[in-house]
Amino acid sequence: MTESRKSRLTRPETLTAVGIILVAAGFLVPTYDLRAISALLPAAMLIGLIVLSVFLLLADQRKASAGEDAAPMTKAPKRVIGAFLMIVSYALACDFVGFYVSTAVTIPLVAWTFGYRSPVGLLIATVIVVGTIWAIFDFGMSQDFPTGRFWGR
Amino acid sequence: MLNIFKKTAIAGAMILSAGAALAEYPEKPIEVIVGYSAGGGTDVMARTAAPFIEKYLGDGASLVVKNMPGASGQIGVTEAANADPDGYTLGTFNLPGMMARTIDREAGYDRDSFTYLANVVNDPNVIVTSKASGLDTLDKLLEEAKANPLAITVGMSSLGGDDHFALIKLEQATDTEFTIVPFKGSAPARTALLGGHVAMGILNISEVAEFQDQLNVLGVATKERSQFAPDLPTFKEQGLDLVNGSMRGFIAPAGLPEDVQAKLIDAFSQLSDDQEFLDAMAATANPVEVVTGEEFKQLTSDLYDLANGVWQTTPWN
Amino acid sequence: MYSDLLHALPDVFAWTNFAAVVIGVIAGIVVGAMPGLSATMAISVLVPFTFGLEPLVALGLMAGIYNGAMYGGAIPAVLLRIPGTPAAVATTFDGYPMAQKGEGGFALQVAVVSSSIGGIASAFALMLLAPPLSKVTLLFGPSEVFWVAVFGLASIIFLLGGNPIKGLISACFGVFVSVIGSDPIYGNDRFTFGQLEMLDGINIVILLVGLYALPPVIDLLETPLKTDGVNSSKLGTEPIWKALPRMNYWKTWLRGSLLGIWIGILPGAGGSMAAFMSYNEARRTSKNPEKWGEGEPEGVAAAEVANNADTASALIPALTLGIPGTAVAAVMLGGLLVHGLQPGPMLFRDNPDIVFGFMWQFLFGAILLVLLGGSLATNSFARLLNLPRPLLGSVIIVLMLIGVYSIHGRMFDVYLMLGFGAIGWVMDRLKFPLPPVVLGLILGGFAEENLRLALRIGRGDPMVLFQNTTSLILVALTVSVVVGPTLKKRFIDSRKKA
Repeated sequence: MTESRKSRLTRPETLTAVGIILVAAGFLVPTYDLRAISALLPAAMLIGLIVLSVFLLLADQRKASAGEDAAPMTKAPKRVIGAFLMIVSYALACDFVGFYVSTAVTIPLVAWTFGYRSPVGLLIATVIVVGTIWAIFDFGMSQDFPTGRFWGR
Repeated sequence: MLNIFKKTAIAGAMILSAGAALAEYPEKPIEVIVGYSAGGGTDVMARTAAPFIEKYLGDGASLVVKNMPGASGQIGVTEAANADPDGYTLGTFNLPGMMARTIDREAGYDRDSFTYLANVVNDPNVIVTSKASGLDTLDKLLEEAKANPLAITVGMSSLGGDDHFALIKLEQATDTEFTIVPFKGSAPARTALLGGHVAMGILNISEVAEFQDQLNVLGVATKERSQFAPDLPTFKEQGLDLVNGSMRGFIAPAGLPEDVQAKLIDAFSQLSDDQEFLDAMAATANPVEVVTGEEFKQLTSDLYDLANGVWQTTPWN
Repeated sequence: MYSDLLHALPDVFAWTNFAAVVIGVIAGIVVGAMPGLSATMAISVLVPFTFGLEPLVALGLMAGIYNGAMYGGAIPAVLLRIPGTPAAVATTFDGYPMAQKGEGGFALQVAVVSSSIGGIASAFALMLLAPPLSKVTLLFGPSEVFWVAVFGLASIIFLLGGNPIKGLISACFGVFVSVIGSDPIYGNDRFTFGQLEMLDGINIVILLVGLYALPPVIDLLETPLKTDGVNSSKLGTEPIWKALPRMNYWKTWLRGSLLGIWIGILPGAGGSMAAFMSYNEARRTSKNPEKWGEGEPEGVAAAEVANNADTASALIPALTLGIPGTAVAAVMLGGLLVHGLQPGPMLFRDNPDIVFGFMWQFLFGAILLVLLGGSLATNSFARLLNLPRPLLGSVIIVLMLIGVYSIHGRMFDVYLMLGFGAIGWVMDRLKFPLPPVVLGLILGGFAEENLRLALRIGRGDPMVLFQNTTSLILVALTVSVVVGPTLKKRFIDSRKKA
């Protein structure tokens, strides 16, 4: 029994192969402006990526015709997307609001959201981590972390 | 909208700080932006100079070095150019690199973006040859270069840097042609010379001082003999008009209040007479030549014109 | 020279200088063990701070950190499959499977003993053979270095994993990332899209943290488990003196040390390449190569001995010629310049007490490693990793940000790291091997730069690449490594048939 046409095209490996081909082709455009010798290695790699991805695509589609199910990327897509979003917003928050505030909020927030719910444990962990970072980097090494673009200089 | 707000705020801050500056500059720590990692030549210069500048500014002034490495110093200098001109942000400045970058790529600053404080280090170029090449005098080198154009390979630290401009001056003055081999930095170029993989090199005097026994140093590109290695003859003495070098100094953003500018330049100009400072710089292989204010600005302008002239005839990228 | 060596010894034992090494080793193990923090980052944060310190205190700290971090990187590599430093990538190959089998404790002990042995061998090479070895470095001009890079790239074929197409995609990706930045010869931008931050290329630590640390963090948060029961609860640790007799890896240690020292004195390639090559060579000559990758302790030994064996030797070209052998040595060179120690032949004459003292500190750092790493650090870290999984995940996220931000002090790198993290997660889930990316990034641009320099020296004539003995030996070596195993297999097969 073969899969439906749509699910054949949304197999993770097929999507990845198509993605690589598109991105690599996109990167090929700026190589035209480079000197030949300067463009040689990057262009070779990009063409290599495209050719290999075509092979990958064909291999995966052959598996699909043979009726092999593709393994899903994750069993818990919501948790994975949530984790990614939290990491990205943490980075953005550090950049715009400031490192220490964001870190003090993020550690308990992430741990709590993903299942560690002991208030005492969260408090202790946050205090230890933020305190140690401050003591070593700021106090000890006078290393500056982002203070937040939002507040200006 | 936000931009307008920001501009008014900066203008307001300028008026306030100008007023405050009249009273007492500096009244908070001064940040010095270094465009290289800690431990590089420019960083060492800034950190060595900082306590002396603090001393000459007086009133418990304090300088804080901040490293913003990347893009051969361009990230740091752009940041310094765009900082508030209140005297609390200074930056290091490298010549001819900083000017050459405004020519060979898009830069967020130009030669009018700065208040020129002082150039502190002038590291003149030297021409060296490998022992294996047998070209142990300038005459032999030029003879070979004229007999076989492009046959001599020249190792240097990059295209569009002081080494490159020195070579172009040499080629123009002697009507010769060389094959340029631009390494990533001067240490690899020097290593290739030591190993005899290239025949000739254009480096800076501080970079070859420790290697005088392993290489032939043919001359120094200064007007008078360098204090740094007084036994090396200049090219002028050998009948070749070649003066060139790499320079490092300090700038502030354009539009510094006049009294702040005067106070800073005054502090920097006292460096050249401070024996303790000169010794500290000699220990870190930084040949000192202090040039302040207008003269420094003129120097920068001249180097820009030189680089631009070269770019017009033989662009390097 | 050897009398200078002895003369420098008393200074090393001044208590501040010795304490610096001890603190350095401990700090190094901690930094290495924290996913996201690397030795490069630790030393670059330290350099400005050392301005006010006595030279031997500053250098002792750095020597200790370097030694400690090269081992510390093995701890999360074994326990979490996150290499703590770039050089620990090869340690994950067998270390993590060992941890899953409940032999994590033994894996760490093998790692610490091997690291220490590699470090000691390297320190002796630095102390006794620096001048002659620096002459070896001089033999390697652009064309020879190009062949070294090709030799390293050829070893990618052993890292392709089960699916060669995916392995090659990984390798191409790595090499492509290595060309981002300014062109090595002309300096014009390639694929930087006007971002000044990308002109110097993609720092290996940024890529590594993204590719190797982010996917495991997502794993930690993805499955709603309380703690990582598989790895941490049964480390199977026994006292190190009982574990020692089980470590009979003399051949691997010797070969790994020599390889590490050799790679160290060559400019530019560095720790990860040493570990990869030592691992490959050890597997190639092993009696049971099929067990490698499934928890063979000798694999951990091979990787860890080599990534410590290039620490001190990387300083040979750095001290004598000013060209650092690894990224960490490059940062350390800055630390030397800060103290007015100009690299070059005069350095040994002008500041013998400091230079030779520094070498002693490397040796003591390596010896201390087995004492401090063996007892104290290994156990306490294993326990730290026993934290509830969501909490561990959130702490690693913070460490990743600090580690990447602190290298250049900019958020741009953090965003770049997150981008690589997303790519890394997809690759991890679709079973694309990650080591070819790392090797491609390290060696791709390096090969290109040296090839083009060599061609310039030869004025465009490719014959310049084959003109001397060193190059030819390297070509022969590369061919034998690539073709050798195939021929050997054919030979054995034909014998079996006969």
